[in-house]
Amino acid sequence: MIQVNAMGDACPIPVVKTKNAIKEMNGAGVVETLVDNEIAVQNLTKMANQKGYGVKSEKLGENEYKVTMTIGDAAVEEIEAEEPVVCAVPAKGKNVVVVISTAQMGSGNDELGTTLMKGFIYALGQQEVLPKTILFYIGGATIPCEGSVSLEDLKSMEAQGVEILTCGTCLNFYGLSEKLAVGSVTNMYVIAEKMTQADLIVKP
Amino acid sequence: MARLRKPAIVLSFTKTTDAMAVEKYCMAHNLPGRLIPIPREITAGCGLAWKAAPEDEELLVSSLKEDGLPWSGLYHMEL
Repeated sequence: MIQVNAMGDACPIPVVKTKNAIKEMNGAGVVETLVDNEIAVQNLTKMANQKGYGVKSEKLGENEYKVTMTIGDAAVEEIEAEEPVVCAVPAKGKNVVVVISTAQMGSGNDELGTTLMKGFIYALGQQEVLPKTILFYIGGATIPCEGSVSLEDLKSMEAQGVEILTCGTCLNFYGLSEKLAVGSVTNMYVIAEKMTQADLIVKP
Repeated sequence: MARLRKPAIVLSFTKTTDAMAVEKYCMAHNLPGRLIPIPREITAGCGLAWKAAPEDEELLVSSLKEDGLPWSGLYHMEL
């Protein structure tokens, strides 16, 4: 495995460095690239998808992301065909805010509702355009916490630039303040601000 | 933003309750995979599916068979 340090590098340097590392490897293998911004994560992911490499990204900390590419044998020849690196800017689409205020999607049957909510969060992460922000409060506040089955989906969305915010009052009320496992704690001012400034609020 | 796709196996079900039973069973037995809404590539209908890594196919299928948990189809796809 090769590790590429592209911390502090602006587009297109992280992509160029990663491409060079793949070339150097000259065969199948894994390349890990460390970057400090979401745009770089998006550009690397796009490059990997174009080339047919396996790719996953992970947020390691504030301004620290790891993009892991798995290069198969078949993919290597293609790298010769060089194409210019496009420096993407964040999608200038609508400001979509997803508000999750219950652990269940809909009402009528809690078991089914919990299953549907898990499915909704998974499907949300599969959309071509991800929301800008996801807000969790009251019954929804358990979803971004330790032990939740949706953590993997939420972490993947966060690594792709989705802001995940959970109501601190709610975490405190449930005794979950130490259990938040993705995103950050927020307060009612921010919740009100995010909702009033949204172009579209999605509430499953 | 393009989606990240990885090879996976997907089990489909004829009944929602069958899918939920498999989830319960797999969690209780520490079996790999997760419940997802059934991919559009398989059916346009509403439903749930069990998604797992391709390498877990044998373990999963033999465990479900042994304990008599039904499913309707098994698909290999990139998800």
